[in-house]
Amino acid sequence: MSGSDSTIAATSAGDTASPRRRERWLEFKKPIPTWELILLGLIVWVLFFGIWKLATAVGWAPPFLLPAPDAVAMTLYELFASRGFLMDVLVSVYRIIVSFAAACLIAVPLGILMGSFSRIEALFNPLVSAWRYLPAPSFIPLLLMWFGTDDTSKLALLFIGVVWFLMTLVMDHTKAVKTEVIQTALTLGANRWQVLRTVIVPAVMPNVVITMRQMLAAAWTYLVIAEIMAATDGIGAMMMRAKRFIHADEIMAGIVMIGVLGLLFDYLFRVLERILFSYQEET
Amino acid sequence: MAALQQAARKSEAPLKLVASDVRKEFSLRKGEKITAVEKMSFEVRENEMCVLLGPSGCGKSTVLKIVAGLEMPTSGSMRLDGREIVAPGRERGMVFQAYTSFPWLTVRQNVEYGLRINGMGAKERRERAEYYIDLVHLSKFRDVYPKQLSGGMKQRVAIARTLANEPALLLMDEPFGALDAETRWHMQEFMIEILESSKITVLMVTHDIDEALFLADHIVFMSTHPGTKREDLWTDFKNGVRIRDKEEILGMDGYRDMETKILRMMREESLLKKQLA
Ligand SMILES: Nc1ncnc2c1ncn2[C@@H]1O[C@H](COP(=O)(O)OP(=O)(O)OP(=O)(O)O)[C@@H](O)[C@H]1O
Ligand SMILES: [Mg+2]
Repeated sequence: MSGSDSTIAATSAGDTASPRRRERWLEFKKPIPTWELILLGLIVWVLFFGIWKLATAVGWAPPFLLPAPDAVAMTLYELFASRGFLMDVLVSVYRIIVSFAAACLIAVPLGILMGSFSRIEALFNPLVSAWRYLPAPSFIPLLLMWFGTDDTSKLALLFIGVVWFLMTLVMDHTKAVKTEVIQTALTLGANRWQVLRTVIVPAVMPNVVITMRQMLAAAWTYLVIAEIMAATDGIGAMMMRAKRFIHADEIMAGIVMIGVLGLLFDYLFRVLERILFSYQEET
Repeated sequence: MAALQQAARKSEAPLKLVASDVRKEFSLRKGEKITAVEKMSFEVRENEMCVLLGPSGCGKSTVLKIVAGLEMPTSGSMRLDGREIVAPGRERGMVFQAYTSFPWLTVRQNVEYGLRINGMGAKERRERAEYYIDLVHLSKFRDVYPKQLSGGMKQRVAIARTLANEPALLLMDEPFGALDAETRWHMQEFMIEILESSKITVLMVTHDIDEALFLADHIVFMSTHPGTKREDLWTDFKNGVRIRDKEEILGMDGYRDMETKILRMMREESLLKKQLA
């Protein structure tokens, strides 16, 4: 007992160059404990607000151009409490939901069909690829001519900003469904419609929902562009009004609000994924 | 000697599957064509366990896919019970090497899948699935999703799902190829059990000589360039009895002879491949 102890002591003390396995701070794909996860995230946020606050406190930037974080928080509260900002937020959320849902309704079924059948891909893909390269905002003048400044023009911009990408991504995910899985269903007696409905759709759904979550972020971008361009309500419109009166705090409150909503939607999607696709193998 | 054995064992059972002069070309890009299989003729009799054996790339999977109706022959005919095969169908269920259990369905729902899409009622479906889940020894796991199963168990789900459909011909493409040696051994013994209890005709692809000798009544040995049948072999040393114990079969008279013969053919094929390359 004591003998073995002393040998261990001798080797570890004497031979410092011996290659010992140790945990390094950065390890490839190694999961970390939850407390560390939260801590690391917080550190960066605290740093962010700290530097921001410092910058305003020492007067690097005039407060009317860069208000302090607490001033922005106060403004956000005021906007909600006495300036009817809730209506703007709801209008924006409504626009996102309606046009994003419309884009999904078109893109998901068509993307699945394009990924399943080469002929359908050959029909639509040239068109879809071309449209994907056209920046959606370049349609704003046209949309304004066609639909004026009412809701339709905003919904349309969001729709064309999202639908082509969504379609392509869904198509690619559908192509990745294992051929053997489809062939198995065929040799079990499934017809093409049954294969689509009972094999391909459930097989791609997890990836489709992930793609939807990612595309939703893009949808927010187009929403704000649309509302900044021409709108009387919505978060973007509020920010444009604020700009006219040089209220940087209100603009920043709008940005914060968009960030919070983005996080919220992202979280909702993740919960949905966890509930719907709990059967999935973790990778 | 070999000829005598062959004559003796060609069973009198009616013909189930008849391939006559099957040829399959694939078109590659740039208009080139590659002949994967040609002049392929063989017969599988009722209740026979027939193994397609041959070197890699000789067209075994291609032949199996033609039988499944997943590929059409360029010329020649493939007939099941005298009828030309023109499309996939439930009477020719296929098990693949890759895991194909549907991850969004439980074991029971997986096994019921074929019955459900073919319109069987819920009660009958459940009973039939129960029976086949029992048969593959997965009763304890019937309500579990595939992610919780090992590779061998996933393959058993795939086999039960296909058997539950009660196909006239069970097709298997290297079904145990992805499994470790021990699990593969278990699965092979388990296949003998299935063959005995379900009176089913099987056409299975492998390139594992041991597996072929253990499981097969009839071996169709294929050669490469182009892929075609080289020889029919019947495992007569078993005297028509399917032996459940793999160790027992390794010690049987005639096993070594046939193994040597197949090894020699495999070697010739690979030498030929080298010469052509
Ligand atoms: N869809 C396809 N397109 C083009 N060539 C193909 C296709 N499928 C098979 N081939 C070719 O046909 C030949 C036979 O292939 P096949 O997969 O049937 O061989 P195999 O005997 O199953 O091989 P392995 O033992 O490696 O699985 C190969 O040369 C292969 O490249
Ligand atoms: Mg193969």
